[in-house]
Amino acid sequence: MIHEFDPYFNYRTTLFLTEKGFYEFWNWFDSESWYPLGRIIGGTLYPGLMVTAALIYWALRFLRFFVHIREVCVLTAPFFASNTTLVAYFFGKEIWDTGAGLVAAVLIAICPGYISRSVAGSYDNEAVAIFALLLTFYLFVKAVNTGSLAWALGSAFGYFYMVSAWGGYVFIINLVPLYVLVLLITGRYSMRLYIAYNCMYILGMLLAMQIRFVGFQHVQSGEHMGAMGVFLLMQVFYFLDWVKYQLNDTKLFQTFLRITVTSAILVGGIALGVGTASGYISPWTGRFYSLLDPTYAKDHIPIIASVSEHQPTAWSSFMFDYHILLFLFPAGLYFCFKRLSDATIFIVMYGLTSLYFAGVMVRLILVATPAVCLISAIAVSATVKNLTSLLRTKQKVSQTGSTKGAGSSKASSKVTLDQSQPFQKNGASALLVGVFYLLSRYAIHCTWVTSEAYSSPSIVLAARGAHGNRILFDDYREAYYWLRQNTPTDAKIMSWWDYGYQITAMGNRTVIVDNNTWNNTHIATVGRAMSSNEDEAYEIMRSLDVNYVLVVFGGVTGYSSDDINKFLWMVRIGGGVFPVIKEPDYLVNGEFRVDKGASPKMLNCLMYKLCYYRFGELTTEYGKPPGYDRARGGEIGNKDIKLEHLEEAYTTSNWIVRIYRVKPPTNRL
Amino acid sequence: MAPKSDLQTLATGSGVSDGSDQSSIDPIFHLLRILPFSFLRPPRLRLRIPSFTLPSPMTVYALILLTYFLVVSGFVYDVIVEPPGIGSTQDPITGTIRPVVFMSGRVNGQYIIEGLSSGFMFVLGGIGIVMLDLALDKNKAKSVKASYAVAGVSSIVIGYVMSMLFIRIKIPGYLH
Repeated sequence: MIHEFDPYFNYRTTLFLTEKGFYEFWNWFDSESWYPLGRIIGGTLYPGLMVTAALIYWALRFLRFFVHIREVCVLTAPFFASNTTLVAYFFGKEIWDTGAGLVAAVLIAICPGYISRSVAGSYDNEAVAIFALLLTFYLFVKAVNTGSLAWALGSAFGYFYMVSAWGGYVFIINLVPLYVLVLLITGRYSMRLYIAYNCMYILGMLLAMQIRFVGFQHVQSGEHMGAMGVFLLMQVFYFLDWVKYQLNDTKLFQTFLRITVTSAILVGGIALGVGTASGYISPWTGRFYSLLDPTYAKDHIPIIASVSEHQPTAWSSFMFDYHILLFLFPAGLYFCFKRLSDATIFIVMYGLTSLYFAGVMVRLILVATPAVCLISAIAVSATVKNLTSLLRTKQKVSQTGSTKGAGSSKASSKVTLDQSQPFQKNGASALLVGVFYLLSRYAIHCTWVTSEAYSSPSIVLAARGAHGNRILFDDYREAYYWLRQNTPTDAKIMSWWDYGYQITAMGNRTVIVDNNTWNNTHIATVGRAMSSNEDEAYEIMRSLDVNYVLVVFGGVTGYSSDDINKFLWMVRIGGGVFPVIKEPDYLVNGEFRVDKGASPKMLNCLMYKLCYYRFGELTTEYGKPPGYDRARGGEIGNKDIKLEHLEEAYTTSNWIVRIYRVKPPTNRL
Repeated sequence: MAPKSDLQTLATGSGVSDGSDQSSIDPIFHLLRILPFSFLRPPRLRLRIPSFTLPSPMTVYALILLTYFLVVSGFVYDVIVEPPGIGSTQDPITGTIRPVVFMSGRVNGQYIIEGLSSGFMFVLGGIGIVMLDLALDKNKAKSVKASYAVAGVSSIVIGYVMSMLFIRIKIPGYLH
């Protein structure tokens, strides 16, 4: 089964790709979502994931294994996670030695930070993107270490795969130039670096422009300008090196150096200024700008701030996803700083920048995981090497001591050494046992976290019954199949944007807004409709041709991610575009309530009426009055709800999903 | 740049190595020599271009350890969400306000103090491993090596045990 929300869209597009072929897929205009605007799917998605799954599907079909595309989609993520493990081994070997590579592969294989996005069923861009990220970094570090053009070419193709897979490629295109800059500052400029970076940047940029969604952003967007600046700086360095080689006069060269560097920086700054001022270079988009200034999204872009994955990270999320890697990371950094080389500088920078971004946004813990695993592996490998070398030297020295025997002045010192050696040997073996104990605790933790937190498909909910048995709520799929079978084929469904992809994929009906969230005004219109009273909402729904409204309600089951708990975000997003919606109108003394003390605007808004229609007659919990909302923990305020322009079409068995039909306007007399 | 080299030609024997003498190829230098500085007299200063030396790796490592501590304590979370330093509940029977150190109920929520103390435990554990490595350095006296080893092992043990304790308090169903 496909989990969550976004994978349903990816599954639908992959299905389309396998059925209609690549050209239809590339030119696809979808009129079933974002009614009445439609969506140019070919130009607004990252095709890497779909093409990968389709290729695997076609390869299996060629070998006469007739699997369904859904099976391929579900299992793509674990397959690529295994590939990531292999790449982690080679990367660890490149940075430190084979021991570190092995430990890195083991750590990343079970790390919850990565497993969270690579379980079977999590058919999302990150499944292949993390593999592409690590592959690109590995090939680039290999290119810098060897100076070979072939490895640099490989890294350019790895970058192309990353660009096709995920919008997070911006991380690569900024980290690699930053790394080159750090190498230049620390005086590690070399021909290998020059070859590697130039090849990767130019070829990678040209290849990236093949993806329609990315287009010309590499030369036009502010986020990509760092790479271009460093590219020009490298040319300046190479030129200066050449001039130094030609010129035999150091004094003259110093003057020349100063003039060139100053003028290069001046010219670069002026070009950047002109580009930004004229609008050719677009500024940083909100999603990435909020990484540099985390308070930006909260104040200016409520849609970005409302996604739960975009919240900043608390310490417990770090602990949950990393466990002992949080101890090993600073130790690994120490070992990297002890043995500085081009490769260890890279992994240190990758680890630090990605960990900072993981602190800003929970979802980016995924990007930091490979770096944290690699650096922790260095710590483990170095410590274990130290301890085992302690164990080994003792045997050697004690052997030479026994062969040398008595009769020399050195014998006495060897005797004293012999006396402390068993103690040290015991100590070292005890510490080794301790290391293995910690690693085994890590494995136990990872297994527990994966089974408890990261295995739920989110579309089927589970809860513990009164006797400890597990109860499943399959209401979502029940509602979507009802939509598929009981509504006319051209019906339009209005719901909050979270459910758009699932409705289109499983219910096969047109939706007004979905998870792509590319049009803020359209979402704000839906938010406004949900927060207005029934008459105003009916006008908006008539203007959008809505036939059915779908809401998610958790009051009967105690499900806390329902639409009433998300309601304030609808108000904020709607209010961001239509100032007639004001958030304080729905709050009482700054508090969000649904009981008798709730604000009148809240008690009369469309979302309230649709969620609580007929709920006042239902007894949900033993000993509580009818109309007791188990998710909010209170009795609702307005139990006697009458709907004028809508009628109830379907409520699922646990009241989680409720569907209403919009009545056509009454005939005018 | 121009006034300084002008100073070198005027003052004698200042010892700066990158002097441009009368036959300088810099056109701006010649222009400035004529225009303001034919009648203006620059003062005699002992200025030096500040030299830029890179810090040692271990200095950088110390700074990085500090930022790691801040990030892992959830500093960004504290700045944006602005939780209280420590939470409080009201005792239902006596009515007194009791402090609550760990925000319960969610994995991704914290109070400031709990974040900082957990971050400190992580850094302590990390430093313990570093001290273990320092204990194996051959160039030190035996007693120093022994104390490093003991300090390292105890730091790791304390850091690990406390972190486990914290996570057990925070997530009641941990490992069940």
